[in-house]
Amino acid sequence: MALRRSTTYLGTTAGLFLVLVGIFLHTSWEVLASRPIYARKTALVRQLELTDLCLFTEASYTRHLSMTDPSTPFQDAPMSLEHFPTGALVGPPRHLMRNHGYGD
Amino acid sequence: MISVRDISKVFNAGRPNEFTALRRLSLDVQMHETTILKGPSGSGKTTLLGLMGCMARPSTGRISLNNREITSLPERFLTEIRRSTFGFIFQQFNLIKGISALENVMFPAYPTGEKFSTLHKRALATLEMFNLDKRADAKIEWLSGGEAQRVAIARALINNPMVIIADEPTAHLDTKLSQEFMDIMRDLKARGTTIILASHDPIVYDSDLADRVVEMRDGQVVHGGTGP
Amino acid sequence: MVIERHLHILDFTLSSLLRRKGKNGALLLVYTLIVFILASVLFFTHALKREAALVLKDAPEIVVQHTLTGRYQPIPVAWGDRIGKINGVISVRPRLWGYHYDTLLMANYTLMVPAENPPGPGSIDLGSGISRTHGANSGDMIAFAGHDGVPRMFTIRKILDSESQLLTSDLILLSEKDYRDFSGIAADQATDLTLRVRNPREYATIAEKITRMYPDTRPIMRSEILRTYDAVFGWRSGLMIVILSAAALAFIIFAWDKATGLSAEERKEIGILKAIGWETSDILMMKFWEGTAISLTAFLLGVILAHVHVFSTSSALFAPVLKGWSTLYPSFRLTPFIDFGQVATLFFLTVVPYTITTIVPSWRAATIEPDAVMR
Repeated sequence: MALRRSTTYLGTTAGLFLVLVGIFLHTSWEVLASRPIYARKTALVRQLELTDLCLFTEASYTRHLSMTDPSTPFQDAPMSLEHFPTGALVGPPRHLMRNHGYGD
Repeated sequence: MISVRDISKVFNAGRPNEFTALRRLSLDVQMHETTILKGPSGSGKTTLLGLMGCMARPSTGRISLNNREITSLPERFLTEIRRSTFGFIFQQFNLIKGISALENVMFPAYPTGEKFSTLHKRALATLEMFNLDKRADAKIEWLSGGEAQRVAIARALINNPMVIIADEPTAHLDTKLSQEFMDIMRDLKARGTTIILASHDPIVYDSDLADRVVEMRDGQVVHGGTGP
Repeated sequence: MVIERHLHILDFTLSSLLRRKGKNGALLLVYTLIVFILASVLFFTHALKREAALVLKDAPEIVVQHTLTGRYQPIPVAWGDRIGKINGVISVRPRLWGYHYDTLLMANYTLMVPAENPPGPGSIDLGSGISRTHGANSGDMIAFAGHDGVPRMFTIRKILDSESQLLTSDLILLSEKDYRDFSGIAADQATDLTLRVRNPREYATIAEKITRMYPDTRPIMRSEILRTYDAVFGWRSGLMIVILSAAALAFIIFAWDKATGLSAEERKEIGILKAIGWETSDILMMKFWEGTAISLTAFLLGVILAHVHVFSTSSALFAPVLKGWSTLYPSFRLTPFIDFGQVATLFFLTVVPYTITTIVPSWRAATIEPDAVMR
């Protein structure tokens, strides 16, 4: 007699579920294991006085997101809207909007 | 005994297409007998079969099964009675396409929660009864007309019903297959099964199988209604 | 008994689904793909946010920029003396940093003078990204053209640890003397000022005092830096909204197709099942399994694949988007931080509505009188 369909399905689902649980357990373990790495990283941040993640290196305003000023993303001419691809991925930081106009 | 008292059935009540299928009809069907409902199409045979088989409720009147009033039962109980007491054979067979013959035979027993292995065995045995065991894994649309008919009968038998209800079973069959069907019914009758057939096919209503022929017209019994 | 009944109904559902292998297979595939994309985005952005929150919590408490005509400019170092006298400020340090465009490799680098342990004059520390693209290692000599176009030679003191790539990939660390010579920034100027402050509750007051003291400065607080990365990949930002709305649209099409798609044949089958003794609840259970079989499988597959994609292949599919035009891109491996709340949300956004849209249209069909199939 061939394997019953419901058995096959429930078995597959249980298998996938176990894989997922396994992945999550492994994840928790990796997070725990990465503590010393984060200690080293924060020490580096203090040593270099870093303010940003090095995610996008193509434009200054995406390389140092929190340090950018309001005019850089819009370049120099009124028609020259921001044109770096990664600029479309990330919004401007909120404090930039709030402080907009200060000291212009 | 299935006893039908004063029942009427109105479809689409209150709407312009209101249609009365049965009018104040009374009928007694004895157990272990074969009753044949005869009459032209539109005479209310199918509706009456549906009501006796607990598929629907009459608009007025009562039906009782072995002295148990069933018209006022809630749907769940009605379904339960339908499943355990009646086996249905439909005019178009109404088998579920794309699925194997064996599974089709098993479907009526699914809600009972019977153990898979025993149900599987029983279904195979029932198919074997009709020499269909080799076609068990074949999908419905691969079966010949005769095979499909026998699968439909096997499905009607899977829950060991007291009563077999068949609506125009020979309407789509040639003479040979119709005779074959009647032979199977004869077998069942010999085993004590109550059979109710609706048909306007002489092969059915003129056969020696019939203990009683009830003639219907315009939603009423015109002949053979009360008493033997 | 009850379990066996469920299993039977599940058997029926699966047989029924398998009848249309192509259609349901494609459905499962597309569904899995949607979950995969959504889950990948969620995993990726959450891990990045956690990363930023964890490492940038030790960023300078306040950075003071000098702005001129709306852009930031070098700030006079002397301003630091006055700012340092504000109550609560422990120390002020002029920070020197800037960008350098490498015309040869067409890549942007960040030059920086570290606060502690800077390289000696004539030597530099290199971020691993630059070291990779240049094929340069510690001890090698490397030349960069300064502000006056004249190349300067540096000895590489060390390569920065690659585990910190997400912070340092494009960095060139050098001494203050070298940086001033390289960039041409005057001796009494700095890029910005970094402040250490005693009490976090004083940040706002101090920032206010600074802007009053020097109206053309812009103080950026650490909380604002942290919030930048918290919000930058938020639900409402940039491309994220495009991805999410595309997924939502695809899902609505699905749901709509389902909700309106109970064919005459399906309706007839429901009638047959009722006629042969299935209860309304059995029909609804069958529809529940139909929705679950597709959506739960898609959810599990999608989430597992997304996890592998984001944390084992470093979001290989996102990389082209994230890179933009940058030639220097950190090949970071994210620590797999997972927000279980997000996974649960994803579950409720995908599996539950789909299952419901499978059940609801069959509700009316499930309550038809079973004798309909006889008529």
